[in-house]
Amino acid sequence: MKILKFEKLESTQKIAKKLAREGKKPWTIILAKEQEGGYGRKGDFWHSPKGGLYFSIILPKSKIENLQILNFLAAFCVAKILKENFKLEPFLKLPNDIFVNGKKICGILTENVIFGNLKYSVMGIGLNTNIDKFPKDLEKKATSIKIELKKEINNEEILKEIIKGLKEIFVILTQTR
Amino acid sequence: MKFKLKIENEEFEIEILETPEGVKVKVGQKEFFFGEKEKIEEKTVAKVKIPKRNFEKREILAPITGEITKILVKEGDLVKRGQTLILLSAMKMENEILAEKEGKVKKIFVKEGEKVEKNQTLIILE
Repeated sequence: MKILKFEKLESTQKIAKKLAREGKKPWTIILAKEQEGGYGRKGDFWHSPKGGLYFSIILPKSKIENLQILNFLAAFCVAKILKENFKLEPFLKLPNDIFVNGKKICGILTENVIFGNLKYSVMGIGLNTNIDKFPKDLEKKATSIKIELKKEINNEEILKEIIKGLKEIFVILTQTR
Repeated sequence: MKFKLKIENEEFEIEILETPEGVKVKVGQKEFFFGEKEKIEEKTVAKVKIPKRNFEKREILAPITGEITKILVKEGDLVKRGQTLILLSAMKMENEILAEKEGKVKKIFVKEGEKVEKNQTLIILE
């Protein structure tokens, strides 16, 4: 697994889309410790201070139907990891959001870039892991694993588990469809 | 002009005769004639009209059924190759449609929030 690590980016999605277009291999991961302009569906801002897990994956070329299912199943994959590793009780708001105790903890965004006959797809995941505190306007809407568990977790270990899970889903999808 | 031609151990006697009507080629007992008739046919083919087509006009089509989330250009704008034209939300995924070549936005057929079908024309560039 190739992980490109950055201290700070405007957005891992933007870099992933650029690199996908330049021909970077599928399953390349763009990981940032911090994002200044992280975003979710319809361009909604994603609060991305240090401590959280923010990454984008260049997806292999695939049928749009498979990507749609992968997009849905990615939320199940992350929720399963939160439940099994940390005994949290995640609630899925499909297609792309995961909540814990009524507050958002993770967002997933799949984007396709269409350039003539070519298509590139990237998936971005923002998971609130080691965030101590949210700004006032987000306090009642967002939470983190650290806030819920009162302890820090290893971001890279979770990242690897998520990627492993997504790859397994992708193999099943492309073999059975 | 007469000559013999050997092709794969078989010998052919060939005679080429020029006549006022055209050229006659005799291969053994068979005769082939190349004359005015052929020339006329050639001209006819060349004169067949091909419908005119404007190759410079480029339609940007919806790659998938969905909803227009954002239009990032307006009519009359000059766009560069690779510039984002439209965001289309479909099947819970975001689709970013880029300009394949540089050009001018001639016409925009859709509005933000509008539902579009696959292959529907969104924009015409020229």
